Amino acid sequence: MSTLVPFAAADAGNFLVKPSVGLMIWLLLAFFATLFILRKYAFPAIGEALDKRQRAIEESIDAATRTREEAERLLAEYRQRLTEARQQADEIVARAERAGEVHERETLEAAKRKREELLEQTRRDIEAETRRAIQEIRHEVADLTVAATEKVTRKTLTEEDQRRLVEEALSELDFTALSGTERSN
Amino acid sequence: MKARLLAAVCAPFALLLLNPAGALALNVNENYHPQNEFRLDPWISIKIGGIDLSINKAVFYILLTALFTCVTMVYIARRMRDRPNRVQTAVETAYTLMRDNITGGNMDRGMARRWFPFVATLFLFIWFSNMLGYLPLPTNTEEKVNIFGAHIPSLALYAATANISIPLALTLVVWVSYHVEGIRAKGPIGYLKSWVPAGVEGPARIPIFLIEVISHFVRLVSLSVRLFANILAGHLLILFMGGGLVVLLNLAIAGSVVLGLLTGTLAVAFFLFEVGLVATLQAFIFATLTSIYLGGAVAESH
Repeated sequence: MSTLVPFAAADAGNFLVKPSVGLMIWLLLAFFATLFILRKYAFPAIGEALDKRQRAIEESIDAATRTREEAERLLAEYRQRLTEARQQADEIVARAERAGEVHERETLEAAKRKREELLEQTRRDIEAETRRAIQEIRHEVADLTVAATEKVTRKTLTEEDQRRLVEEALSELDFTALSGTERSN
Repeated sequence: MKARLLAAVCAPFALLLLNPAGALALNVNENYHPQNEFRLDPWISIKIGGIDLSINKAVFYILLTALFTCVTMVYIARRMRDRPNRVQTAVETAYTLMRDNITGGNMDRGMARRWFPFVATLFLFIWFSNMLGYLPLPTNTEEKVNIFGAHIPSLALYAATANISIPLALTLVVWVSYHVEGIRAKGPIGYLKSWVPAGVEGPARIPIFLIEVISHFVRLVSLSVRLFANILAGHLLILFMGGGLVVLLNLAIAGSVVLGLLTGTLAVAFFLFEVGLVATLQAFIFATLTSIYLGGAVAESH
């Protein structure tokens, strides 16, 4: 039954926990040889490859960041330019509208002025015509009067007396009624 | 086919239920010594100056571990690629773990750079040794298999770390290293003074110092035995579950089959557990504690 608990027997299993100097020497040889080889041929290469990749990743990230910043800057610039362009366009349209309004007003005013001038001119022509007509009527009346007087009196006054008499008579007549009627038109 | 398989599996259980006393008749095998799986018989006897340097199974495993560690790591290191494959990714992960967590996390930058190769080699050496321990190799010289007249040693599981000498030797290296590092950083007197935690004044320092001395020696035991006992226990479990118990108890045929089926299933579970977790975990713990001891030796107070 002693084998049921094999390691209780002192001579059966104590070699498991008995250190052996020879084995330890073998281990130290193997371990330090491994350490030497790994340190010389394995670790530097692995570390370097990792560092290289690390650097590559960092550079990629930096480059990506730079590119994004550049893109954002460009975008902002374009946005600003677009805003400016829009503002300018609005301004141009507004200015054109203002100019159009001013032009229209000026045209209207000019047309109005022109019409008034024409009206004025017409009025002045009419007045002048009226004055001339009255003048003609005067002359006509004077001539007729002279002729009538000659026939009645059979006597001829000098041309000069004649005219003076008629003028005196006409000056007593009022023609203002004529021009007044015309003006009221 | 399925029905027949089921019947074959169920038959021993049925026999066991029909006649439990007969099936479970205990007839302990007095000739079976499971501990002999771990015995080291000299293969080539070498003795130099009274020290037994014979080549045996453990030495074979040590040399195999060293060879595997060097060849694997150097091979991977020589063909490092910018776009890593799976193996390279695994090695890189291990390397980063060793550099940034195990060493980098416990020492300052300069010291971590100086001690990284040592700690990393410890980790890899122990890891390869543990993993090789789960590879069945023809190392059982006690039991030979006759293949066409050639007596080939039967396949067996063994691990160099399941022998106290190996973890103890590694522990001694660590122990000496961290004391040397401490003395180099603070001088012999300063280093010994730093054992007493800050804040302890007057005569209380003497017992505290003595406790610290003991704790340093206990580290020798704890660090080595933790690794040794874990690996040995794992191998014993696999050994017993994988048939050892059946052979040892030597039950009647039905009982043996039932016991074999149960323990065989457990053996697979234990094997996966050991390979998947314990082997790596123990290597990690050993390397981490080494780093903590080294870092603690130069720290202001610990």
